[in-house]
Amino acid sequence: MQKRLKAIGKFLSSMRFGILLLVVLALTCVVGSLISQGHPMDWYLQRYPERTAALIYGLRLDDVFHSTWFLVLAVILCGNLLLCNLLHLPGLLQRFRDAADPLKTPKTARITAGVADFPEAVFEKIRMPKPKTIDAEGGKRLFSVKNRIGLWGAWVCHLGILLLIIGFTMGQVTTEEYTVYGVPGQTKPVGDTGYTVTIDDFGVQRSENDTVQQYTTLLTMRDGKTGAQQSASASVNHPAGLYGYRIYQNSVGPAAKVTVTRDGKTAQEEYVCVGDYLYVLNTPLMLYFVQYEDAYYDAGSGKTLPGYAYSTYYMGEQERAGVQVEGDTALTYGSVEISFSDPREYTLLQVKADHFSWLVLLGGVILLIGLALAFFLPMTRVWAVQEADGRWTVSAESRNAGPLFAEQFREAAGIPEAPEETNGKAGEPDA
Amino acid sequence: MGKRVNPMLNVENVLFTITVLLYVAATVFYFLFIVLKQDRLARIASLIQLLGLVVHTAALVCRGIAAGRLPLTNQYEFSTSFAWGLSLVSLIFLRRFKFPVLGAFASPVIILVIGYAALQSREIRELMPSLRSSWLGIHVSTAIIAYGSFGVSFVLGLIFLLREKMQGSAFWNSHVPSREKLDLIGYRSVCLGLLFLSFTMITGAIWAEQAWGSYWSWDPKETWSLVTWLVYAIYLHLRIRRGWKGRAAAIFAVIGFICVIFTYIGVNTFLPGLHSYA
Ligand code: HEM
Repeated sequence: MQKRLKAIGKFLSSMRFGILLLVVLALTCVVGSLISQGHPMDWYLQRYPERTAALIYGLRLDDVFHSTWFLVLAVILCGNLLLCNLLHLPGLLQRFRDAADPLKTPKTARITAGVADFPEAVFEKIRMPKPKTIDAEGGKRLFSVKNRIGLWGAWVCHLGILLLIIGFTMGQVTTEEYTVYGVPGQTKPVGDTGYTVTIDDFGVQRSENDTVQQYTTLLTMRDGKTGAQQSASASVNHPAGLYGYRIYQNSVGPAAKVTVTRDGKTAQEEYVCVGDYLYVLNTPLMLYFVQYEDAYYDAGSGKTLPGYAYSTYYMGEQERAGVQVEGDTALTYGSVEISFSDPREYTLLQVKADHFSWLVLLGGVILLIGLALAFFLPMTRVWAVQEADGRWTVSAESRNAGPLFAEQFREAAGIPEAPEETNGKAGEPDA
Repeated sequence: MGKRVNPMLNVENVLFTITVLLYVAATVFYFLFIVLKQDRLARIASLIQLLGLVVHTAALVCRGIAAGRLPLTNQYEFSTSFAWGLSLVSLIFLRRFKFPVLGAFASPVIILVIGYAALQSREIRELMPSLRSSWLGIHVSTAIIAYGSFGVSFVLGLIFLLREKMQGSAFWNSHVPSREKLDLIGYRSVCLGLLFLSFTMITGAIWAEQAWGSYWSWDPKETWSLVTWLVYAIYLHLRIRRGWKGRAAAIFAVIGFICVIFTYIGVNTFLPGLHSYA
């Protein structure tokens, strides 16, 4: 029983299982990109045979990247990487220490360049650090090592990936996200956080030929509990950061002033964004702002004017729908008159708190360092042993460098004949 | 209203044409080198390619000046830069490993990519606000080196597979490194590519966070770059674990580059269409 458990544990921490997970992950990504994501069941039923659509829905292939099994896959990959890194740590530490030990050189050297009279020159030519001289049992030795740190490459790289996946997954699960939109002067709550955002100003910077260069919102965020407040500006590519939230300039859209008069007196005046409702005070009436058009052709007057499309709901039932042109009155209900005017753009801000994005970034940076160590700092050792006749046998090993290093080494040693190569494996498989 | 054409753009147009002609000339000389087996032709070919790279660089600089930004944002700019990256990385590998046959196989790929660029619109449009970011510049520059490196590993993979067929050819034996060495050079180019691809994805994520408030949104382009990244990571591990070197690695390098090309062109071209007829 225990043997079997051990075998399972070994498999779960193995690179073989790791490769399998990477393959599954890659295939999942391919599937997730080929099947359009995030539609309702009907959408798939229209496009795929019924069985396929049912399969897509059953396996959550309609939203692969947020499905439970994708999360499980991520967790298993983390477990595998963690185990792999933990199990390899002692061996790695040992190898790291041994690499600096002049006496712990492989018996069958990976590359033996043969004999030389002045071994120091060989070290210099292949840009090794100045060798140490050791009086060992078998005779005098010269030894030098470089890029020992490179041994850590794969380990550091895996650590980075581990942090990255943990940060990403935790972020997915815990991120708070809200949208706030409106025109300058309006104050809106940020979801149920207790914070409010006041839009102090909003501007669109345009270039000479009228293309938009930047959208900028000046805003003030206020903590409803303490009354503390801070101001900042948010524009595209330059989010604001306040009270642990990042505030992004996300998009813009049309808004207009809705004026409600009762008996000729202004009773209510508010800016409403397209797609929003306005409850008309002291009535069972609700106004929905459907769309705004700059140049609406008004058949009545034969003119092209700004047009406001709306619909109304009376006690919850849709009642009327129509278009009001600039300067007109939209609706009259007895003594109540409602009209749209002053079209302008509203700003839409995204307010987000991802408490783990730093971990993702840290993981990414560690991953890069690991890759650079693994690929560009191959651990290299060169040693020379003095033979009884006073000449030296020079040998070397270099991780992952095989015949390329051998050639360079042979050239440096000035020994033309083919080196004796035992052609060791590129890495230590975890069998 | 008639638009004033920036004189720098005219210069760029001329330089771009010269670049294409130089790359074509280099390819012809490389071809002659393979057919006539004269080393002199290889030297001329790689010199022409180097000259092509210099003119190409000048063309990109002119475009940058004309646009007032890094020329790395639309499909034309990215594909001509991609060709530039391929040319640069292949020349570096060619010089470093004294191996002109690499140029002979890389130059047709460069012509394909720059030919694709020539088909794209060269108009300079003002950038959307979200594209005005220095992270974008870093993101795309690193992508060019990554793609260039993967392109070179693809070419090396092809050479490897051909090398197997050409065992008996004295020319191949003397002008193409041993299979063991080819494999290792290919591995080096994949390593370079993977490092830069990782850098590309991380800087891309930083930019996306600032521009859209989300550092990763699983859009097809992101997803396919992850697929590419995973394919190369799998390649590395299979090398270690199963000793998948040589032939298997060469085939992997070819598949990896197909993923790169799909991420680059296929995602835009095929994926939106897939949903409509599936
Ligand atoms: C998720 C993507 C992964 C990446 C980008 C990655 C990256 C790397 C790199 C760069 C190397 C060094 C390769 C070389 O020197 O040629 C390496 C080695 C290795 N990887 Fe991974 N790895 C990943 C996942 C995994 C997983 C899931 C396992 C499972 C256990 C694993 C186990 C190993 C082992 C055992 C080595 C050999 C270590 C050594 O030579 O010291 N890797 N990996």
